Amino acid sequence: MIGATKKATPMKMLTAFIAAAAAVSAAASAQTVAIMDGTVHTVSGGVIENGDVIIRDGRITQVGADLSAPAGASVIDASGKVVTPGLFAPVSSIGLVEIGAVDDANDASPARDPVGAFPLGASLNAIDAYNPSSVLIPVNRAAGVTRALMAPSVGPTIFAGRAAVIDLSGRPNSVTRAEAAQYVAMGERGAERNGGTRMGAWAVLREYFDEARSYHANPNDYIRRPHDGRFAISDLKALGPVINGEQPLIVAVNSANDIRATIRLKNTYRLNVIIVGASEGWRVAREIATANIPVITDGLYNLPGEFEDIDATLKNAARLNEAGVKISFTEGAHNVRLIRQHAGNAVAEGLPFDAALAAITLNPATMYGLGDQLGSLEAGKIADVVIWDGDPLEVTTRPEAVFINGRPQDLNNRQKMLMERYRDLERGDLPFAYRGAD
Amino acid sequence: MRKTGWTALAVLMLSACAQQNEAESEAEADAAAPAEMETAAKTDEKTDEKNKADGPIHPPLDPYPSTYEPYPGETVLLTGATLLTGAGERIDNGAVLIADGKISAVGSAGDIEAPEGARTINANGKWITPGIIDIHSHLGDYPSPSNASTSDGNEIVSPNTAYVWAEHSVWPQDAGFTRALAGGITSLQVLPGSANLFGGRSAILKNVPSRSVQGMKFPDAPYGLKMACGENPKRVYGERGGPGTRMGNFAGYRSAWIEAAAYKKKWEDYWADYDEWAEDDDDDKGDAPDAPSRDLKLETLAGALSGDITVNMHCYRADEMVQVLDMAKEFGYKVRTFHHAIEAYKIADYLAENDVCAAMWADWWGFKLEAFDTVGENVALVHAQPGGCAIVHSDDALGIQRLNQEAAKAMADGRRIGVEIEPEDAIAWLTYNPAKAMGILDQTGTLETGKMADVVVWNGNPFSVYAKAEKVYIDGALMYDRSDPSRSPRMDFELGLHDNSFTGGAGQ
Repeated sequence: MIGATKKATPMKMLTAFIAAAAAVSAAASAQTVAIMDGTVHTVSGGVIENGDVIIRDGRITQVGADLSAPAGASVIDASGKVVTPGLFAPVSSIGLVEIGAVDDANDASPARDPVGAFPLGASLNAIDAYNPSSVLIPVNRAAGVTRALMAPSVGPTIFAGRAAVIDLSGRPNSVTRAEAAQYVAMGERGAERNGGTRMGAWAVLREYFDEARSYHANPNDYIRRPHDGRFAISDLKALGPVINGEQPLIVAVNSANDIRATIRLKNTYRLNVIIVGASEGWRVAREIATANIPVITDGLYNLPGEFEDIDATLKNAARLNEAGVKISFTEGAHNVRLIRQHAGNAVAEGLPFDAALAAITLNPATMYGLGDQLGSLEAGKIADVVIWDGDPLEVTTRPEAVFINGRPQDLNNRQKMLMERYRDLERGDLPFAYRGAD
Repeated sequence: MRKTGWTALAVLMLSACAQQNEAESEAEADAAAPAEMETAAKTDEKTDEKNKADGPIHPPLDPYPSTYEPYPGETVLLTGATLLTGAGERIDNGAVLIADGKISAVGSAGDIEAPEGARTINANGKWITPGIIDIHSHLGDYPSPSNASTSDGNEIVSPNTAYVWAEHSVWPQDAGFTRALAGGITSLQVLPGSANLFGGRSAILKNVPSRSVQGMKFPDAPYGLKMACGENPKRVYGERGGPGTRMGNFAGYRSAWIEAAAYKKKWEDYWADYDEWAEDDDDDKGDAPDAPSRDLKLETLAGALSGDITVNMHCYRADEMVQVLDMAKEFGYKVRTFHHAIEAYKIADYLAENDVCAAMWADWWGFKLEAFDTVGENVALVHAQPGGCAIVHSDDALGIQRLNQEAAKAMADGRRIGVEIEPEDAIAWLTYNPAKAMGILDQTGTLETGKMADVVVWNGNPFSVYAKAEKVYIDGALMYDRSDPSRSPRMDFELGLHDNSFTGGAGQ
């Protein structure tokens, strides 16, 4: 602004960075990439020191040690680097929101007020609002996130709607699986939408399922005969795959009591349930494991923030994992990249490293029925791959290259562009607004 | 402690009249703080006979003084560790000697002898830093559990609530204090919220549980004033009489400063008149001049104008920060720290030239438009300026537990664009710099001989996701030990909630 600026010294990492970038841009056209001599965390099959990953036509074709790079492949020397599957954020509103507090830049949920202002819930479909050009996508992609569940947030009703798995390429066709899950808020969030009591929330939830069953048993008949107008036909229709157990239902609950109620619900209606939240999950870890319910938890939450979080602890993830629960970590939208910080902190609290890495790669893929396609480095799987400059769970580590569907990704983003514009504050021949246009 | 505080206060009152910023009516003064008045009168020999009993009215600077007293601690020699002093130095294989609550020696392991009776702790492989300081917290004011009953952080009734003091909302039983302790937090500034242009006074606390907030107050720490730029005030008051725009915000600040300057002058005139009257030997000089009426709001603002109260300005946008600095020049006060300074990197040179600190997050962004331009290198770019003062803050009951990790991220991003930052530099973002900005650097914030022994022993390099604070000393007392449940505080709220057992506690 005014006066002289001390300029940043040249990047220490510059040489390595340019080398990686050059390799990546060559690979863009080649379609065949050989990532050689890295520490390869396959997630499904252990760690390979000096391991190689071969990618062709969007798929991983080989993973192992001492492989040969196929003829014509772009070869990336990953020695000293760590190679992992791309990170998979298991619940987020990425793709639906640009700026939280700006109405026209936030489609994550219908307005809550006034109560009853907007009648629909379960029938909302995230892909209707999906913005693959969102600035959140390149920012989080550059941090190694390659897939995410894009989930609506709850509005006036307990059902948030149908979530989709997307990739973070930013391409128009980046929806991996539409209608991958339904989302419902119970616990305190459910209670406050249903008369202020959990009794209300569970009663209404059961009503929804009973009505949905009735509707799906014979839709034409249901529509013709008198029925309860509180339930929109479109919502009942959308709950079809939930009540027949095909579509996972993400249930947001935290307390041990609410988790037990969720287990009962699953057993009564034979649902495919995933729990999100579960701040007291460790107290009922064995029951959750027995019910075969995956848990997506906040790895950094350890406060009795509400009466449903009394027993929250940083050891939650480690204890759930030890009991045999499949776990993952949740983060909002703008910083879904922080799931690896959750994972790293969980390791510091006793979660085995491999389980922590699986929690942000393979486990989410499995939760949404994509475990055979994504989440690990295995021949035949979709090539979502990240090359890191260090321990992938460490907060000081950053990706050097990211592949989605076998394609090298642009790691530039709005934040980097802003930084480049202002890293040198010396007054130039033109204002700052002209910088970066070349 | 209390007695010492009052004596010090009396001395301050006599020596620094020109900087007095608070006022109260005579009756209130007598009722509220007779002890100060008495002490003051005794030491002022110039005062004439009639006025020896009371003297000029000086509103108390610190009517709710700290009653904090350090807990007992052993004489401890921590040896063999990597030290980051907070003052820019790294000492490998270093040692810290703690005695009588103070740091009594810092140096290489071989150079420091354990005095007789001292306990020597082999800290090989450990890292030792000064206690972590969070300049922006709402612990106690927005405590856990969070609900309407406990939500005491934002007095959303008027754009100018400079009259409220955060300490009057602090619930010392907030479980968040214990979790922060396990993250190495030894001191923190609790600020009022940001709904208002003038939010009120901050409370600077030592992170030692107490039955009262007075028992946590950092002894002799100056008060801070919380102010807020931009979106929050105009959003909150836009449909409640204003301000509804950023220009309305500035009109609100400036009107208040004009009023505060007049108020400050009224008191200064009164003290001058009083002195003149007191020195008058005429028997018929009449009654002593009347003191002005006190105004709690203007007392705080006048204190900010005189420099007794540090100004903490919540401000995201670069252009607004520049405007605020012009306003500070217009009214002759100093902005000590911009908080949430997401766009600090755009004016890092200007902030350094104006000797203003920027308190920042590592990577929060996008929750509102003024938080859209976050860059990961923000902290590093502020740091890189000659004279730049970068602080990493939390504003969050979870973030405060991991300020070391937030600093690690900021350091990592800075290094990747070539800003040379070593751990011994980055630790200052959490220790030296916030201590300086809060006015407590002479007492804490570095590992230096004579300072409060606020010390954290980490199980490794603190700039790692795997690092944990193993031991936290506050004034030389071991207040947290990760391996010893008897050194892990639990607040009253956490007792007997589930099956008559303990829940939570530090380190949970």
